Amino acid sequence: MRNLSMLVLVLISFAVPLAMAAGENIDIISPVDGARLDSKAENKMDYNVTLGAAGGHVHLYVDGEEAALLRQAKGSYTFDHLAQGKHEICLKIVNKNHTPIGVERCIKVTVQ
Amino acid sequence: MDSQNLAYAITQIVHNFGAVAVVGGAACALARSDAGTQRKLAGLVLVAWLTQAVSGAAFGAISFYYYAKFPDIHGVAVAALIVKVVCAVFGFTLAMWQLLARHSEVSRRYSWLALCGLGMLALGSAAVLRWFS
Repeated sequence: MRNLSMLVLVLISFAVPLAMAAGENIDIISPVDGARLDSKAENKMDYNVTLGAAGGHVHLYVDGEEAALLRQAKGSYTFDHLAQGKHEICLKIVNKNHTPIGVERCIKVTVQ
Repeated sequence: MDSQNLAYAITQIVHNFGAVAVVGGAACALARSDAGTQRKLAGLVLVAWLTQAVSGAAFGAISFYYYAKFPDIHGVAVAALIVKVVCAVFGFTLAMWQLLARHSEVSRRYSWLALCGLGMLALGSAAVLRWFS
């Protein structure tokens, strides 16, 4: 009976995916959401990420396109070129297999 | 140890041994000329390429199972993945041909050389895929 219970527990643990991330957090320090940036200036983003147990590293997206892979949990990233107009910048925590684990933070900026 | 990491780790172990077999099997066949050994090695390499394809797909399947998403890769990493898939297709086909067809000693040797090259190319692409994703 005990063996059967253990077997059921093991099967349940494999049947139920890890639906919730725990302890992961993304903080985009600058620019703030809605910021206006100068297209002629060097634009960079400061961030602080807590990867947690499931996270491996961070992917950076500009307008939905992956722009960089960030392996440092805390740091800054300088954008090569941001064209004039509105942009959405997102950070997503991904696992070691590069799969987004559902923790992301996005901001919108306007480059003038 | 959570089940997700365990699943990835088991898949990685299988994938690594498959990589050893595709390159090692072809390299051993180049050093051994007797037909019996070469036939056994052709069977090993055939199974190894199949293992590579299945375990490679398993990485994506595990991600989808836990997060309902596939790995998010772009650019160079996608190119490296395509190279790996093409290597697996040609490697499997060539190993099958090696196992089933009757051919001359010369064509057999070129076939093993090609299998060895495909294995090394797939291994090189794996490194690119790992670090450029």
